[in-house]
Formats: sequence, C-alpha cells, structure tokens
Amino acid sequence: MAEKEILVEVKNLNVTFGKGKSQFEAIKDVSFEIYKGETFGLVGESGSGKTTIGRAIMRINEVTGGQILFKGKQINGKIPRDWDREITQKIQMIFQDPMASLNERAKVDYIISEGLVNTKKFSNEIERQEKVRNALLQVGLLPEFASRFPHEFSGGQRQRIGIARALVMEPEFVIADEPISALDVSIRAQVLNLLSKLQQENNLTYLFIAHDLSIVRFITDRTAVIYKGNIVELAETEKLFNNPIHPYTRALISAVPEPNPHKERNKTVEIYDPSQHNYEKNPPSFVEVEEGHFVLANEEEIERYRETQKLGVSQ
Amino acid sequence: MLGYIGKRLLQSVVTLLVIITIVFLLLRLLPEEGYLGAAADKMSPEQQEVYLTSLGLRDPILVQLGNFYSDLVRGDFGKSITYRTDVPVLDIIADKIMYSLSFGLAAVALSILVGVPLGILMAQMKGRWLDRLGTGYIVFIVAVPSMVYFLLIQVYITDIFKLPMLFDQDKPISWLLPLISLALGPIASYAMWMRRYMVDELNKDYIKLARAKGVKERTLMFSHVMRNAFIPLAQYLPATILFTITGSIYIESLYSIPGMGGLLVDAIQRQDNAVVQGLVLIFSSLGIIGLFLGDIAMALVDPRIKLGRGESVR
Amino acid sequence: MGETQTKTKILSIENLIIKFKLRGQVLTAIRDISLDLYKGESLAIVGESGSGKSVLVKSIMGLLDKNGYIDQGKIIYKDDDLSQFKTEKDWLKIRGKEIAMVTQDPMTSLNPLKTIGKQIEEAVLLHQGLTGNEAYEKVLQLLRDVGIYDVEKRYKQYPHEFSGGMRQRIVIAIAIACNPKILICDEPTTALDVTIQAQILQLLKNLQEKYLLTTIYITHDLGVVAKVADRIAVMYAGDIIEVGKTDEIFFNAQHPYTWALISSLPQLGVKGEVLYSIKGTPPNLFKEIKGDAFAPRNPYALKIDYVERPPYFKLSETHFAKTWLLHPSAPKVEPPETLKKFFEEGRQYTNG
Repeated sequence: MAEKEILVEVKNLNVTFGKGKSQFEAIKDVSFEIYKGETFGLVGESGSGKTTIGRAIMRINEVTGGQILFKGKQINGKIPRDWDREITQKIQMIFQDPMASLNERAKVDYIISEGLVNTKKFSNEIERQEKVRNALLQVGLLPEFASRFPHEFSGGQRQRIGIARALVMEPEFVIADEPISALDVSIRAQVLNLLSKLQQENNLTYLFIAHDLSIVRFITDRTAVIYKGNIVELAETEKLFNNPIHPYTRALISAVPEPNPHKERNKTVEIYDPSQHNYEKNPPSFVEVEEGHFVLANEEEIERYRETQKLGVSQ
Repeated sequence: MLGYIGKRLLQSVVTLLVIITIVFLLLRLLPEEGYLGAAADKMSPEQQEVYLTSLGLRDPILVQLGNFYSDLVRGDFGKSITYRTDVPVLDIIADKIMYSLSFGLAAVALSILVGVPLGILMAQMKGRWLDRLGTGYIVFIVAVPSMVYFLLIQVYITDIFKLPMLFDQDKPISWLLPLISLALGPIASYAMWMRRYMVDELNKDYIKLARAKGVKERTLMFSHVMRNAFIPLAQYLPATILFTITGSIYIESLYSIPGMGGLLVDAIQRQDNAVVQGLVLIFSSLGIIGLFLGDIAMALVDPRIKLGRGESVR
Repeated sequence: MGETQTKTKILSIENLIIKFKLRGQVLTAIRDISLDLYKGESLAIVGESGSGKSVLVKSIMGLLDKNGYIDQGKIIYKDDDLSQFKTEKDWLKIRGKEIAMVTQDPMTSLNPLKTIGKQIEEAVLLHQGLTGNEAYEKVLQLLRDVGIYDVEKRYKQYPHEFSGGMRQRIVIAIAIACNPKILICDEPTTALDVTIQAQILQLLKNLQEKYLLTTIYITHDLGVVAKVADRIAVMYAGDIIEVGKTDEIFFNAQHPYTWALISSLPQLGVKGEVLYSIKGTPPNLFKEIKGDAFAPRNPYALKIDYVERPPYFKLSETHFAKTWLLHPSAPKVEPPETLKKFFEEGRQYTNG
C-alpha cells in the first residue's frame, strides 16, 4: 500500500476560552491526521467542539495547547510572514450559513476576489477577472453573476458563491463547516456532488465537519466522532458505521432516523450516559483496536469492548 | 448584581469628576477682563490684581483645583462672582430650579403620554394613514433643527391662537406653548422607538406560537408585544427624562422662563465661574444618574441579562 | 399500528385553492388539494420549501399571512367549514382547543421575557377551565409529562435557561395544554441535535398515544417520517402528488417525484458515485401551470404530462398517485436500479 502523505496533523490540541474561573475548555486533547486527497469527517453534536477545531486550523481561534501542523510545519502560534501568507492561501474554509457568510453590501465579484486582492495573487486586472470567471464556472454559476449582489441568489447559489470564494485561492486543504445543513434537501445533493467533483478536479483534501451522519457516511473516507472536546472514536467511515465501539458513537448512530419504517419502529435508540465511564482512577487513552480504528477508552473498557466485538455484536 | 451596581456607580462618579474638571479648566481659559465686568474701567491694574487674587484666580491651577474639590466635598459650591456677587451659588440655583424642574417633568409626562401610545398605534396600524402621518411627523422633527420650529411656533402659533409670547407666572396659559415645543422632540423619539420595537416583536416566532395556542389578538398586544417592547425602552427612559429637564435651555431663553437654562447662559456671559461650575455639575449629574438608572432598570427588567458571574443552567 | 378499518374522518379538505397577493401579482400556493385526515392517525406531509406544506396547515388554523386567502374549496371540521371563517372569534374556537401546533424553532418560539411556567399556564387557563392553584398544578404535571425534572424550580425559569431540546419539550407542553384533538408538528426536530431528535420524536409518539391525538407531521426528513407516520402525503408545487400508507410509499412509491426524493437520500448514495439530485428548480407559482407541475424536471415525463394535469390513479384503497405513468395505456416504467433495490430490501422486512 502506498505511503499516504500526511497533509494536516493535529497534536494534543487544546483550545480554552476565557480565563480563570469562567474558562471553558472547548477542545481538551485532540489528535488526528488528515492524509492528502482524502475527505476526513468530523462528527459531533452542538457543543462538541467540532466547529472550534475547524476554526483553530483556520487560525481563527487561538490554540492554548498542542500543535497544528501543515505539511509537517507548525501553523499555530507565531509563524514567519511568508509561511503565514502561504497557508492563508493553501487552507480555505466554506461556511455553514450561506445567508450570513456573504457580505450583503458587496458584489459577488468583490466577494470572490477579496482573498486574491489581500494576498496579491494576480498580476493585473485581466488576470483577476479571469480567475473570478473560472471560479464561477467551476461551481456551476454563470460568469455574469459576478456583477450581482448576494440577495439576488437562492441559498444553494449563495453556497456555491462561498465555494467559489474558497476555490479562487487555489487551496490544497478545504475545511467545510456544515456546508449543506442550511440548504434545502434537493439542493444538498447538488452541492455535495459539486464538492466531490471539485475535489477530483483540483486535487483537494477536505475536512468535512457535520452533524448529519448519513451525509458523512456518504462523502467521507475516514471519520472522527467528537464529544465534549474529545475525540472518542476514529476510523475508516464504513468500519465506523458497521462496527461502532464507543458507547457515544453507538448512541449517535442509533439515533439517526433511517428511511425504513420497519427498522425505525422496531429500533431501540441507545442512550449515551457519560457517567458510565470511571475515568478518575483509570484515565483513558486513544487505543487502536483494529487497523486504523481508534477508540478513547481505559484498559478496563478496552477489555469489555474486545469481548463484545468478538461476539459479533455490532448493531 | 450588587457588584455591577457598585462598578457602575464608581464609573459614574469618575465620569462626573472628569466632566467637572474639564469645565473648570476651560473656564480658566477665558480672558480675565470678563471677571471684572463693567467695573474694569474703574479699576487700576493693581486693584484688578488684588481683586483677581482675592477670587483665587492667581493661585497655581492645581491649587485652585484642589480648593475646588475640597469645597465641593463639604457641599460648598462657592459664591457667585459676577452674577450676584457673594451670594452662595446654591441659593441662586435654588431659585431657578423649580421652574426648570416643573417644565421638564411636565414635558416628560406629556411626551410619554402622547409619544408611547402613538408609537403603539402606529405599529398596530402599520402602513395605514396613522402610521404614515406619524412617520411624517417624526421625519419633520428629526430633519428640522429644533430651534427653527421653536421659533416658528412662538411667532406664528401665538398669533393664530392669541397666546402670550412670553412666560408669565400669573398666566397659566403661558405654559402651554413652551411645554408643547419642548415635548415635540421627545414625542417623536418615543413614538419612533416604540413603533420600531413593537414591529420587531410582532414579527417574532413566539408571537406566532402564542396566536396558535389561541391567545386573543388583544391579549397578545398587551401581554406579549407591548410588555416586551417596553424592555428596550426602559433603558432609555431615565436618561431621556433627565435630558428633557436639562435640555430646555433654548426654550427658557425664548420664552423668558426664569429657569436654570437662562441662568447658565447669563452666567457664562458674565464669566461667573462659580455659577457655571455649579450648574454644569448639576446638569451632568442628572444626565449621568439618568444613564445609570437606565442600565439598572434594564438589568432588573430583562431576565436574560446576567451581570457579573454565573452561567445559565443547561 | 393496526390495520383497523374503523376510521372516522376528523378533518376533510376539499378542492382547496389558496392564493397570495405579492407585489401586485397573485401566487397560487395551493393548487386544488383534497385530503382526509382520520381520527387517531399520524399523517406526514412531506415536501421541500415552496411545496406549500406550511401554507396548508396554517390555513387550517387561520394563521395565513395577511396577504393570503382561500380562493376556493372547503375545510370541513366537525360541523364547520373552516374556509368560511372570517373573524378572530371564529378561529378562537379552533386554535388550541381543537387544533394545536408545535413549531419549528424552539430557540425563538418562546417569549424570552416570560417564565416558561406562565407561558404554559396561559394555555391551561384558556383551554382547561382551571384557575389559580389548580392551573399551577396542571402546569407542573404537564412539565413532568414532557420529561422535565425539578418542575417547581423549572416553572419559574426563563427560556434562555434551557437547551434547545428542553425548549422544544416546553413548546410541546404548551400544545398539549391546549387539550387539542389534532396536533400539528411543523418540522419539530429540524433544529435539534440527532440524539435529542430521537427523544423528542419518541415523546411525541407517547403523547399521541396517551392523549389519543391525531397528528400531522410536516417535514422534509424521510427518516423522521419512517419513524412516526402511518400515512404519508407527498407535496410538490402546491399539490399532493402521492398519498398512501407509510409502507406503500417507502416500498412501492409510484410518482417520479417521490422516486427522486427517496433517491436523493444519502443513504441510497453509492460512495464514489454521484448522488442523485433533481435537475432544475421548482416551478414559478405566479404563473398558471399547464399539465403536471413536475414534468419539466421529470426524466420519465410523457408528452401528456405537459398538456394535461394527471388525476389520482388508484393503487389500493389507501394509495393514490397523480402521474400519467399509471394510466393503463402508459408505457411500463421501472424506477431506477438503486431505488428498486431499496424497495425490495424494504419489502423483505414486511415479510421476513
């Protein structure tokens, strides 16, 4: 098997907000790697910290502990100017709410070009306009849309503009933070297909943050499940869904409504009780239970999980 | 909560001191001849020096400031210099304060009683004739400088309705025009804000749910919409009340009402530092108290505001 | 979940047409819908934004926006024709008392400046004929019914002190407090986390059984529908294009739009391949639509679809679809492969 190149690496990341008594640890101790060319999924519910991780990698949030590496070099904290400029271009983000993430007062042309202008990535006006034109075409919009304003477009189109904005920078790594949750059901499929197409055409690596497990299952290669600032499980997506080990992962998967009336009605939803863990005496660590499949657990729990795994209890 | 009040109180006192110090220093920049007034010609340079020294104006500025503060702490606002020489400033102000206060309070009452219901009606009849009329009125008041319409009212309305032009203690009717003039601005403010807050609330989801659960439209208006619209208003209310009381300077001058406003103008013209300082202190205090009360009112009345520590229960 | 045929109609919509006056033009949001609601059932209305599902249920409660009106048709409930209701007095007979609603966004559905206890109490006072302490006790009981603990303390708290899931429970408590016969749930779990969603749906099911409610679910999420619905009505462009029992729709849907909806589910996606998406956009409802509204986007459209609007074709006593494909002279069309497999897998469950 070919050695996969690690593009992004997160090591013992800690992001704490506030100081003193009222501080809040959004990310406690998170580590994972993202390989070049893959779509890495990060799944969690509200308050899990998944958005914070995305923002920390984008360097919107400050990191209070640990490291974030891009192509082996650190990108958090103080970094040299030209490295900073390089990663600003190479790492881009697509935001969740297409109604809120575009500047209403700016023309689409301006919105898409803003990054280019700030990093001076073009030599003259003609080139800039070409880049904007190409970006719009790539996301399936007409080049003449450049002279219009966001409010003239639908949600799906606005999200495409958001994608064009990220794309025009010619990034290598794109963080998609819930890019389709705010869209209508039939538009979601279109945007997902677009993201896949762009990935192939432009050799992109994605970090796909979402709470909708069915979407994640479809689009990601590997997935990490995050609960209250910790990653509780990480595996190849199919392995994760076919064999979830951590009780939170199991609860999450069982809660997802399936479009099959009989399965749904006869299903018992598993409930996750965080107090079942006895971590005071025996702190957990991130253990590889099978190839590429990691679970956050202490020794006692690993024993238990191995047992149930052997018995083939996977649903 | 108490911590917040204490902090705000401290801030208010500091602000007050800064204001009064700035005014104090500014007044000292005025030409010295002003202190002498009409008597300037009759005094020789030496006599002028002696006079100015007796007023304390020759001391180093910091000494002057220090004296001023220590007097203030003892409740001594000083004595008038040129306005009514040697009369305690507080006495002078006391004479005038009743007029300003009465006018101010009456204007406030009028503006709330007219402005708030107007805003409510405008919101309820959004888009219809009353709303359009009210909006026209508000635009006029905001666009036209108050001095202009004060003057127009005084000149033309007195003519049409045969009302007295100047204030006269013995003629209650002479209160009417100055009162209405003073209230026009605040009426527009209250109407505008009330309408805006109500329209905002009317569009909110919880109103839709309330309607769905069978709440009558009238009950909705009073118990939900108006109550909620009053909250943001609560923050501005104390401040506007106090600003109305102090904002009558021009009106007092126009209608010759013997209030604090007129006094301030006279005192400045006569370079009576003591009186000016005293008045500025009072006006500023009122304004700052207004803002302070507004913040407290807001915090008391809106359960979502958490002052100080504490996280919400999840 | 039985097949009890003792079904009585509780609400009957007949040939309903609803229009809106917008910017000088007229938009036809509901284009001649007929639908029966049976006592005790759980009906799901599925459609995307612009399909008219929200408009339909709002018209049952008299909550249409001011510029909307019922152009034609009837809404028969008990002895009244709701389409003829004009005054607030009329609608107050229905709202809450007979039909109650659980709304979509729990974060904004509650008055932020009133305690939640008072908000529930408002409904109790209006509809349960209780006052004073009895009303108070009833509110506490309702809070317990919806799964909230520490009820005395919670009564005095404000909405912002609760999480999204808990707020939705409060909204449900308010709806139940109205003592309705019909409960409308408008996307009740869309704004909630997946684990909370499961809890809320279970809660709604339990309450439906306990209080013998007839429920209407409005949603775009077919997974939610699979869990809670007895019957499904699929809406597109202001029309119900297919209606049937849940099994019938999930395992034997006949209308190409329903096929498209199910096909675009990520669960049916094959990794590495393009996810099925419906081409084009919904039609402009300002203009009159000739023929089948879905025709321009329908890969299986027949010529007649562009000319004449299809009637309902009967597939069973309970299953109807408005597509010319079901006409006896129409060519035989099979649903796409992935969908066929989905149908077969599903049918296995009924038999296996």
